[in-house]
Amino acid sequence: MKKTFKDKLSERIFLALALSSISALALITVFIIIQGAPIIGSVGIFNFIFGMTWAPSQGEFGIFPMIVGTLAVTLGAMVLGVPIGICSAVFLAEFAPVPVRNMFRPAIQLLAGIPSVVYGFWGLIFIVPLIRDYLGGPGLSILAGSIVLAIMILPTVISITEVSIIALPRTYKEGALALGMSHWQAIYSVQLPAAKSGIVAAVILGTGRAIGETMAVIMVLGNAPALPRSILDPVRTLTTNIGIEMGYATGDHRQALFATGIVLFILIMTLNITAQYITRKKKQK
Amino acid sequence: MRLTVLILLILSVFTLTACSSGAGNTVIVAGSTSVQPYAEVLAENYSIIFPDRAVDIQGGGSSTGIRAAQSGTADIGMSSRELTEEEQEMWNIVIAKDGLVLIVHPQNPVNGLTLEQVRRIYTGDVTNWLEVGGADRRIHVITREEGSGTRGAFEDMLMENNLITSRAIVQNTNGSVRQLVSNDIDSIGFLSLGLADQSVKALELDGVAPTWNNVMLGDYTLFRQFYFVSAEKPSDYVKLFIDFALSEEGQRLLMLEGLITDMKEAE
Amino acid sequence: MHSKFEIINFSFYYNEKRVLNSLNLNIRANEILSVLGPANSGITTLLRALNRLSDLDRGVRFEGDILLDGKSIFAPDVSATALRRRVGMVFEVPTPLPISIYENIAYGLKVNGKMSKNQISERVEYALRKAALWDEVKDRQHIPAMSLSGGQQQRMCIARVIALNPEVILIDRSCSGLDPISTAKFEESLVELKEQVTVVLAPHNVQQASRISDRIAFILMGDLVEEGPCEKILTTPDDKRTYDYVTGRFG
Repeated sequence: MKKTFKDKLSERIFLALALSSISALALITVFIIIQGAPIIGSVGIFNFIFGMTWAPSQGEFGIFPMIVGTLAVTLGAMVLGVPIGICSAVFLAEFAPVPVRNMFRPAIQLLAGIPSVVYGFWGLIFIVPLIRDYLGGPGLSILAGSIVLAIMILPTVISITEVSIIALPRTYKEGALALGMSHWQAIYSVQLPAAKSGIVAAVILGTGRAIGETMAVIMVLGNAPALPRSILDPVRTLTTNIGIEMGYATGDHRQALFATGIVLFILIMTLNITAQYITRKKKQK
Repeated sequence: MRLTVLILLILSVFTLTACSSGAGNTVIVAGSTSVQPYAEVLAENYSIIFPDRAVDIQGGGSSTGIRAAQSGTADIGMSSRELTEEEQEMWNIVIAKDGLVLIVHPQNPVNGLTLEQVRRIYTGDVTNWLEVGGADRRIHVITREEGSGTRGAFEDMLMENNLITSRAIVQNTNGSVRQLVSNDIDSIGFLSLGLADQSVKALELDGVAPTWNNVMLGDYTLFRQFYFVSAEKPSDYVKLFIDFALSEEGQRLLMLEGLITDMKEAE
Repeated sequence: MHSKFEIINFSFYYNEKRVLNSLNLNIRANEILSVLGPANSGITTLLRALNRLSDLDRGVRFEGDILLDGKSIFAPDVSATALRRRVGMVFEVPTPLPISIYENIAYGLKVNGKMSKNQISERVEYALRKAALWDEVKDRQHIPAMSLSGGQQQRMCIARVIALNPEVILIDRSCSGLDPISTAKFEESLVELKEQVTVVLAPHNVQQASRISDRIAFILMGDLVEEGPCEKILTTPDDKRTYDYVTGRFG
């Protein structure tokens, strides 16, 4: 009799806790939507999303340059970070001798633990001058942001990819080798395709992180709310737009920042749903 | 047992944080990052003279500070721009004046510009240093964020209702503007006179050198007023700090830091 | 009678634990040799040594030698990759690549880059026939290999090995998941292949050994207890331990 009561009580408590996390999510979502929707209504959704001019003091709220900024910086980060990440993971899983592996793994975890503001600061002191001196432009640019973000997502990409490769049954690799394939051929034609769903998961997680990053990039992007013409141009992302102006925005301006938040929300939701769709398709195979 | 230790730990964290705010009489001052360094000098000296009084200075920009004072989050808001009509309803006072200078890299061949040239650079009409007597290089324009008092003052005094180009790089502190300009030979930015040091070069405007004296004499026309604002007329411990800022000692400190006060002594 | 493999005083150690004790065994060309014995006797270890898959394991070392056609497979100028094209292996579980049937079998052929498209498709057909799989998949060679049944996948794996024209095929308990019909077809193809290749088989059970082996080697706990013609080992072996094993006294 007593046992059933305890069971029921714990069940209720777990349910309450689970509900509270969901309700936190719901609260934030509803809040953002309520705060941001009116301005989308008055500016017009087309003008908001495709408007080229962001000038709150003049009542102009077009966020298209920021959407382009987010996409450009994130794409850059993926292009730089994913290949390096996958290759590093392959190296760790397949080629590194044990002492090297034991040194690399904690080092990568350490990379993950560095606060984003430190990344931003390092990017500002180290990367930005390099770009300015050798490639031109002010240095504060899409490229700087992409480089910083690429390094930030490396731990995610590397560890998930490595785990996926190591989790593969040994017979995959041995089957390939037994056919007379070289080590590289076995990796390329058997292991990587077999680890594909893990790699996709790693990439999507990395993308999500890159899209949402604010602190690290606010210092290196230049934050100019204009459509970039090259990767050496300064740019502003959806997240940094909010980050820079939140402190002093009021009225319509503040609503517009919340509306920017809604757009970000939708972007990330889309990303997550695509991820789930891809992984589900894989499982059906 | 472990639960007790945990509860004690949490309680002590709260108590400790309460302790640091000096028994609740700390003056919270927030706002313009231009005014901030000067306010910090005031606060430091204030605490030395009156060891039992604490002052907490925060940044965030002029608009942020005014809003914080309005809502009561801060006792005093610092502003480096003129107050809007609405904001003027608050209690406010000028504590000093500050020159506003245009800065470039020390090795930029350009030494001076006309106000017209500066305006056209900032609207994006002029994009190359060649057009204003410099090298054939693209100009990297740097500005503060929209809520910045320094930017507000710059726009009021110089832009004549034109907008600063959206291609300008935005930074949200004076310090980062200065650092950027000191590293990038193609850049131009604006800064509080008192904060312009050897790492950057302050430009002559319309032929007038940007010195403390010239601001004092009125020849150099780019200057703004630094305000302390508060939701209502300040009382007890808040009033004590403001009185100190306006006192002979306080004004002398500000002058030594490069601000223009009613004390007419130059160095 | 030509020796394909000569195993000479071969001992194998996993982290200094000895799993094979000084084996001496000749494997004759064009025979089916079953390597029989209870679990953990070192049979898989022996097979993996024959195509140097043992290179992949960490903390291993060996003593003695293994000669293929009179030359040591461990000689410094012998490439493991080249060896494995001569000595192919089929594993306990099917190991299809995530591509089509045709691509699976053609993969090893394309890697060398020397065969024309026609030559490749001829070889693929040849391999599928030899593996007793041709009739079932001849019209659908381009469907994903993963969509085949377990038994079909396993036969495809044999086809894959056959396509490379190896001299030796190692079979490590490859019928574990197969139904009797697939097993029968599998064994049928092995017997046919005997004419071109040497087969070293770790059989699924004693019955399988009895069905298709020419000779049997009985290995117990790393020792080669006895080897000889199939009939003899199964009915009148010299060693009592062999007798006890093949009659099911222990397993």
